[in-house]
Amino acid sequence: MSISKLNALDISWIMLLSITLANALVAETADKSLFITAVICCSIAVKGRRIMDYFMELNHANKTIQLLMRGYFYVFPLLIFLTDLFSEQLAILTTI
Amino acid sequence: MHITAENIFHLNGSGQVRNEPETRNKIPGNRAVWVGIFAELTEFALFFIVYFIAKAHYPEQFNQGPLQLNTLAGTLNTFALISSSYFVAKSLAAVRHNKPEQSIQWLWLAVLCGAIYLVIKVWEYHWNVDQGIKTNTNEFYTLYYYMTFNHLLHVGWASGSLIWAIFALKSGRYTQSNHLGLTAIACYWHMVDLAWVIIFPLLYVLR
Repeated sequence: MSISKLNALDISWIMLLSITLANALVAETADKSLFITAVICCSIAVKGRRIMDYFMELNHANKTIQLLMRGYFYVFPLLIFLTDLFSEQLAILTTI
Repeated sequence: MHITAENIFHLNGSGQVRNEPETRNKIPGNRAVWVGIFAELTEFALFFIVYFIAKAHYPEQFNQGPLQLNTLAGTLNTFALISSSYFVAKSLAAVRHNKPEQSIQWLWLAVLCGAIYLVIKVWEYHWNVDQGIKTNTNEFYTLYYYMTFNHLLHVGWASGSLIWAIFALKSGRYTQSNHLGLTAIACYWHMVDLAWVIIFPLLYVLR
């Protein structure tokens, strides 16, 4: 298959596999840091958006479904980052 | 929109189709499957919130936990799920082009990926036990087993729905002009993949 014949589905598939491989590399080599957390959160948002828009075809679908699904994949990556950033405050807030 | 033979729709790698795709400006599949999808995503959201709180309380366990897990197994499972989602999308594109045999072949590949996922997961659980990683080892591993086993169940029954769609295609119940059921099943399968997109970095990558 030549590159010019790749369609949006094929490109999305290759992109998603590449991001996953990069994530695995980070898991094996990188030390814990807020920067790494931010990069991983961005990768979650990008992967989620790609799957929703191109595999689920939500980019042309009903606007409410689109908004709710896209929102989910903006809110949770953001929450992952914020709970890492404010972990001590979260621990205090949730101590019974 | 009024559809005429001259209408051509371009959609996400499906090439060009003359029939307006059922996902365009509509609820893909049917309302019922979206109630299910949002219910499932809410369930996973609760797991994620528990993860955030537990991580704040046990930072050392959540720092060391991912290091002991089998990253290769997690990565291969991600490959399997992403590939299966891609195959399901290709299957939907094929049925829109009135190629049911091709659609069935893509669905079998998706089912194969689902089976590979299940085999890897079972192997991973055995590997974990050999390393002394059990459900009650610590809070991180308890959450790991809760999340991954719950997700495994979803992959199991969603694979069943793919097999059901294969038989519906074979019997001619899903056709070029009538395949809303297949679209609904595809959306559910993509949701299972989406949940893993968050679970994989939470458990295997982030510390």
